[in-house]
Amino acid sequence: MPEESAQPLIEADVVGRLMGQPLLARFPMEGSVSGHHRSPHRGSSVEFAEYRNYVPGDDIRRLDWRVFARTDRYYLKEFEAETNLRCYVVLDCSGSMAFESAHGTRFDYAKRLAATLSYLVINQGDAAGLVRVNANDNTEIPPRRNASHLQLILDSLGQAQPKGETQLIPLLHELAEKARRRALVIILSDCFCDGAELRDALQHLRFQKHDLALFHLLDPLELDFTFDRPVRFVDMEGSHSIVTEPATIRAEYQTELNRFLERLRTDCHEFNADYRRVTTDLPYDKVLADFLTERAGRGKR
Amino acid sequence: MTFLQPFILWGLPLVLLPVIIHLINRMRHRPRQWAAMQFLLAATRSSTSHSKIKNWLILAMRILAVLLLLLFLSRPLVGGWLGWAMAAAPDAILLLVDRSASMESRVAGTNESRREYTLKLIASAAGEFENNSHLILIDSATRKPETVSVASLAELPGTQPTDTAADIPAMLQAALDWLIENEAGTAEVWIASDLQSSNWLPGDSRWEALVTAFDSLPQKVRIRLLATTQDSPPNTSISLSELARVQSGETGEVRLAVDLKRSEATADTAAITRTLNGIATEFETRVNGQSTRWRHSVEVGDQSGGWGKLELPADGNPRDNVTYYRYSDDHPPAGLVITESALGPLWQAAASVADTSGRKPAKRLAPDDFTSSDLRDITLVVWQAPLPQGDSATALRQFVNEGGRLVFFPPGEAATTRFAGLGWGEKQEADEEPFKIGRWDEDQGPLANTDEGLLLPLNQLTALQRQRVLGQAAVLAAFNDGQALLARQALGQGEVYFCSTLPLLTWSELGGGMVVVPMLQRLLAAGSARLQRDSVAECGKVGAGDLQLEWTSVETSQRGDVQTQAGVYQSGDRWLVVNRPAAENEFERVEDEVVSALFGGLSFQLFQAKRDDTALQGEIWRMFLFFMLLALLVEAWLIRPRAGVESDEPTPKPQPAPAA
Repeated sequence: MPEESAQPLIEADVVGRLMGQPLLARFPMEGSVSGHHRSPHRGSSVEFAEYRNYVPGDDIRRLDWRVFARTDRYYLKEFEAETNLRCYVVLDCSGSMAFESAHGTRFDYAKRLAATLSYLVINQGDAAGLVRVNANDNTEIPPRRNASHLQLILDSLGQAQPKGETQLIPLLHELAEKARRRALVIILSDCFCDGAELRDALQHLRFQKHDLALFHLLDPLELDFTFDRPVRFVDMEGSHSIVTEPATIRAEYQTELNRFLERLRTDCHEFNADYRRVTTDLPYDKVLADFLTERAGRGKR
Repeated sequence: MTFLQPFILWGLPLVLLPVIIHLINRMRHRPRQWAAMQFLLAATRSSTSHSKIKNWLILAMRILAVLLLLLFLSRPLVGGWLGWAMAAAPDAILLLVDRSASMESRVAGTNESRREYTLKLIASAAGEFENNSHLILIDSATRKPETVSVASLAELPGTQPTDTAADIPAMLQAALDWLIENEAGTAEVWIASDLQSSNWLPGDSRWEALVTAFDSLPQKVRIRLLATTQDSPPNTSISLSELARVQSGETGEVRLAVDLKRSEATADTAAITRTLNGIATEFETRVNGQSTRWRHSVEVGDQSGGWGKLELPADGNPRDNVTYYRYSDDHPPAGLVITESALGPLWQAAASVADTSGRKPAKRLAPDDFTSSDLRDITLVVWQAPLPQGDSATALRQFVNEGGRLVFFPPGEAATTRFAGLGWGEKQEADEEPFKIGRWDEDQGPLANTDEGLLLPLNQLTALQRQRVLGQAAVLAAFNDGQALLARQALGQGEVYFCSTLPLLTWSELGGGMVVVPMLQRLLAAGSARLQRDSVAECGKVGAGDLQLEWTSVETSQRGDVQTQAGVYQSGDRWLVVNRPAAENEFERVEDEVVSALFGGLSFQLFQAKRDDTALQGEIWRMFLFFMLLALLVEAWLIRPRAGVESDEPTPKPQPAPAA
């Protein structure tokens, strides 16, 4: 695996622990082959769906003869179809993702999450793809199920560099239109963009019936703003800077930030998106384990 | 402002140090790559104004702290009397120095008199202006303006102690005259005084005119008063109130009455040393309360004359411990009664004089028989007839001017004639209730209390008839309705009295004698000054004729300044006794508010000197230290870290990732 950071993108012991828990979609998916995930269509799985009246043309082999014997009526017994999962991992590669503190860079953290999630998806027989959101050049690797495709994703992750202003919102709109089939869209971003526009983009994805999981990556320093001396803050996505005394604006800053976070969380809750605020001081394997466990609980049929 | 370490002020540019440090620090701000810029910008926008104010405050506090530190290290002598020197230098400073006898009171805890103390303070303050301002001294004794230098101020004759009283309005008038005459530019008048009421005369009509005159000066004049009203050690003063020689053949005695006044009201014993013709004798007397009159008689045989002094031991004011006297073979007092009424014998008896053969009644004449030659050897004239006119009036006026006493009783008829501005109006009769006495002067004058402190029975006196006194005069006794019973008008060295009722039962109960006899006897004695060959004067009020002579102090056998120094002086066969004015023995002071009111709308500043004024100056630099610490505390409070902030990179706090 190509690696630029000191730590590998995929750690064997981590994926070893996480493989026991499958990544399940919370909504019916439209796959190309049979799989572990619910499909919007009826099929021949063992999972009962419903009874319906016989209409001429139906395969008479599917008649429920026991019901006919009891009621003298023709009923067909239908079963859930099960299909595979198409997962898009969207990685925000804007300049702000390069934010670094004592816990490392946010981008490295996001890359490890993306790589591990891709591995888990492909490993359980589903299709995984990667979308890198760059300022000028977005890179998209469409979802595939084969193992060699994982290598392609990891190579792309290894080459990714955080740079420029974020283009997350237009990309999400584009993805919503482009991905015709229902898919699981996992977004890894700091979401430092316009809150209303982000809400529209996420809503667009949900409108297309995609299962949406947003990993909102924040550094503890950004949340606590614990500076005690005047600092020159330089914008990571622009050229301007300001000199200020953190102690005097700390309360205002936290008020603004918390208002934004709370609004985002509420919005995601409203249109049933899976919002997860992640601080980069938490071990990423724990974050993923919680993610998988909760999904498995909700996805049980 | 003066500094003990002025070279430290060269470090004043160091006040810019916080600004420089601020600018350097601004350049040294560590850059920090920041992602959540949108929230930072929003927060900065909303707190910018508050932050700017706070930053300016912090910078100001730091500059102030450095400034105060420098001032503190340079040891400023600011505040109090010296603090006045902070003002811009005027063209002229007029120093009005009170050097009356009361200014010789010691300042408690020191060996300095109030005069020495104020001179020291004035010299310190005036030293700041000496190069730019003219210093003009006007002392209370001579009131002659004199250009002086600070170095010689304490040694000048014009600042030495005197036995005189001070007349502050007259001193201000002298200052005003100097300002007008010399057309000085900006000027300040510095007054040094102990605020003694008898010196300031707050009721004097001259004050209003003075304030108006100062106010109308073309230049700006500021008046500053250094009041030395500190505590003083206990003090007792002595003054001679009466002196009479009683001669009977070869046996004679001198009778003295001395007033002792104390600053404290506790009973005590006073040791008095009497010196007579160079021989000293000590006596002791009990002093009750604040004021006591001590009577003493000395056997002098048939000596033609002599002199002496009465002296107290050293106390809070060494200047008021001596009083001088001189006796001679002057003619004894004698009375003259001018009347045609039946009351003549009564007047004669009341104005009689004790002699070897008993009491000798006063001489009596009819008004028409009166000539000026009759006034020879007379000390008191009782006049109960229409007011004199022509030669009689002239002779009587001369008599009073020489020191004699003249009492008019009502003739019973109104007239337009006036004497010394006073005259008789209409006769008034009581309707139902007789006229009663409402008030009278119990402290001084012919109706004062007795030596034992007993009241004359004026409160029991009633009158059925009275004759109105016309004209402006001091009222020594008045009826309930305010009309005068006894009015007094000063004329030269003597006094004229108008008594508005008669000792007749149809007029009043005055005939009982309990009032009229002591009154006339006192006037008889007071008029004795007319017949004395020796001159007696108060310090500062020696007659112009006497001032022409060369006087030698009989005590020191040296020439003396009779105008300022008390003592017994001789010039040929003439004698002069000069004593301190009795008013200087009064301890009453004018209140600060009253003094401020006297100067009306003028630019006036009153400073109360304290004994520890030099310590007060020390407090000033301590105050700088205090304010510096205060500035640092405020600065520390402004830059205190907010709660929860410890460092730029704190230990991370685990935070759960909430799920939607």
